[in-house]
Amino acid sequence: MPTETNLPAGRENYRSYARTWLSAHLPQHMRADSLDYRSPTLEESRQWEAAMYKAGLAGMTWPTAYGGHGLSLREHLAVNKEIGALSMPESVSSIGKELAGPIIMTVGTEAQKQAFLPAILNMENYWCQGFSEPDAGSDLARLRTRAVPQGDGWCINGQKIWTSGAAKAHYCLLLTRTGTVADKHRGMLMFAVPMNTPGIRVVPIKSIDGKESFAEVFFDNVLVPDEARLGAPDEGWSAAVRVLSIERATNRMYRAWRFESELGFLVRACQSDAQLAHLLDDGHYQRRIGQVVGEIDGLKGLVERTVSQLMQGDEIGARGSLTKLYWSECHQAFAGLAQSIVSQVTPASSPLAQRAQQAFTQAYLFSRAETIYAGTSEVQLDLIAQRILRLPRE
Amino acid sequence: MSHSEDGLRPEEFSEAAEAAIQDALSRAAEDLPGTLAAAGLLGVCATQADGGLGLDLDFAVPLAQASGRLRLRFALAEQMLLARHLAGTAFAAPLAQGQTLATIAWQGQRDDGWVGHARRAQDARWLLVRHVQGAVLLDVLNAPQKTETTLDPENPQTWLDVRQCPVLAELGADATAALWREGAVLMAATAHGAADAALTAAATHTATRVQFDRPLSARQAVRHWLSRMKLYHEAGGAAIARALERNEWGSPREPLPALMLNLQYATFIIEKAIHLHGGMGFTWEVPLHHALREVRKIDAAWGGGGLPQSVGQRFIQTCKG
Repeated sequence: MPTETNLPAGRENYRSYARTWLSAHLPQHMRADSLDYRSPTLEESRQWEAAMYKAGLAGMTWPTAYGGHGLSLREHLAVNKEIGALSMPESVSSIGKELAGPIIMTVGTEAQKQAFLPAILNMENYWCQGFSEPDAGSDLARLRTRAVPQGDGWCINGQKIWTSGAAKAHYCLLLTRTGTVADKHRGMLMFAVPMNTPGIRVVPIKSIDGKESFAEVFFDNVLVPDEARLGAPDEGWSAAVRVLSIERATNRMYRAWRFESELGFLVRACQSDAQLAHLLDDGHYQRRIGQVVGEIDGLKGLVERTVSQLMQGDEIGARGSLTKLYWSECHQAFAGLAQSIVSQVTPASSPLAQRAQQAFTQAYLFSRAETIYAGTSEVQLDLIAQRILRLPRE
Repeated sequence: MSHSEDGLRPEEFSEAAEAAIQDALSRAAEDLPGTLAAAGLLGVCATQADGGLGLDLDFAVPLAQASGRLRLRFALAEQMLLARHLAGTAFAAPLAQGQTLATIAWQGQRDDGWVGHARRAQDARWLLVRHVQGAVLLDVLNAPQKTETTLDPENPQTWLDVRQCPVLAELGADATAALWREGAVLMAATAHGAADAALTAAATHTATRVQFDRPLSARQAVRHWLSRMKLYHEAGGAAIARALERNEWGSPREPLPALMLNLQYATFIIEKAIHLHGGMGFTWEVPLHHALREVRKIDAAWGGGGLPQSVGQRFIQTCKG
């Protein structure tokens, strides 16, 4: 449990507290809109996130018994608004905090909860997500990685791909099947697999932005004890669906507010430079910026509505698809706009404009992934058609 | 969302309001204002002293949505707003009770001479128009009129020469700004309601219209159009809900982004609904064209393509240190 400070009560108090603490403690070199910015090391990121946890700004909704604060989604949202308002680095442990943690809380044993959950929050362990496979990207029912009972445990063989953070992860949230592909959604089994288990091989993949943020992960006769199993056999698919619905609806709740922060940075960078400032007087760019402002408003509204519905006890269902699809398409379009603006930066441009050029060129390249990961736009459209509009298939 | 003193929620009020509008639509045109007033719709936000219900603006939002959804040919949003913002004058009660019809010229100034972009101006006795920093309520009974029927021959845009019109009441700058802010929210809600009906019509039609042995909406291309319409409709509705809430410092939120989104998205949804109806969508058999005309008129009244530019300029201004 965090002990650094007495945490405030009430949503607005929490937001004010978060704003004050974050702006006082976020190192200048971690702010993407700062002239002092440099890409933080893994250890710097770990220390920063551990400090946030100690300050009461992570694990908001997790039970106190597992290191959380036992608060509601409202406080979680309040903190996320302030996290989004600052140009801070993405979490290096988002898979653990936003996917593995919630699923362990849902299907894990008491021993698993005690072992894994506090370690996620205090940044002792990072997780990766072993779902996608070469033949099972959007369609997880086609996954082939097999788990076969062996002795008191399981023997796992197969291959995962597009596994974010695999090279640094301590554990993998691994989805396998016990039968054959013909079983489709039946017979799926989920594990918490230590990444240092013999037989696991990680091969980094170079992505469009020049980074190696994801990887192929090979499992060759990987032996794990039965204690590594998350949930009962056949519970894997429903657990995966639950994870994915959480991922789409509640993960990175700060994104709308970060989006606004990015837009503000772009405009300020233009205002800092005589040549780029002219663009802001151009009706074309004014309209494009106005469009983005409206979309940010719509996105914030979708997020706040989701929290409100969850607070009333409603199921998330497929509504997360609306938020994911809207954010990814709007943000991708914004990244294209930002890149076209910063492409006009020269060595004579203002220092802030040059910082913006680096940041938004990277953001543009990475944004190409946004309509692919966590379910492509086409998958989201299918989900909306099927589960929200309930359109007939035949 | 708020509650009334007796615990009534806006969405509950909405159900009764929708029934009242349905009832009004089934009656003769001259009975429509009285029917709406009797159901409490025109005075929903007017003070009780003026014969209103004294409820917050969020109770008017579902009414505006219902008026758009049901294609009510009546400037409901404007009448509700004027009954609310003219509180304390002799003009609020006749508006709340449906005795006099009024509307608002969303563009133009009194000194411009000819003003327009006021919904149902041809039916109105009173017209609110901007003047200097605020606005004035004019008696337009004898104002010369010109109608423009190209966009909507049944419900034309009307221009009025207001130079000789008597001034009945004045609103100060702050009151006018507040009215325009709320007007943006209610116009967004009206467009959102119109889009709702179009989306429902398109989903229903494509689920039942069989071509090549399958319902149209069993085809992925059609399903994806409908999903995208739903996405934009949800985002627009969420933006309206957000515009109703005060920000964390207790100030009203800027409503123009919500209006901009809803006008764009309603246009998209209705146009696509027409497309998905095929040839029928292009005819007067299917009422989608009425909704399209209405949303296009609201869009024109609020500056057409100028709205995104205005929103962009305001954001750029806020970024200046």
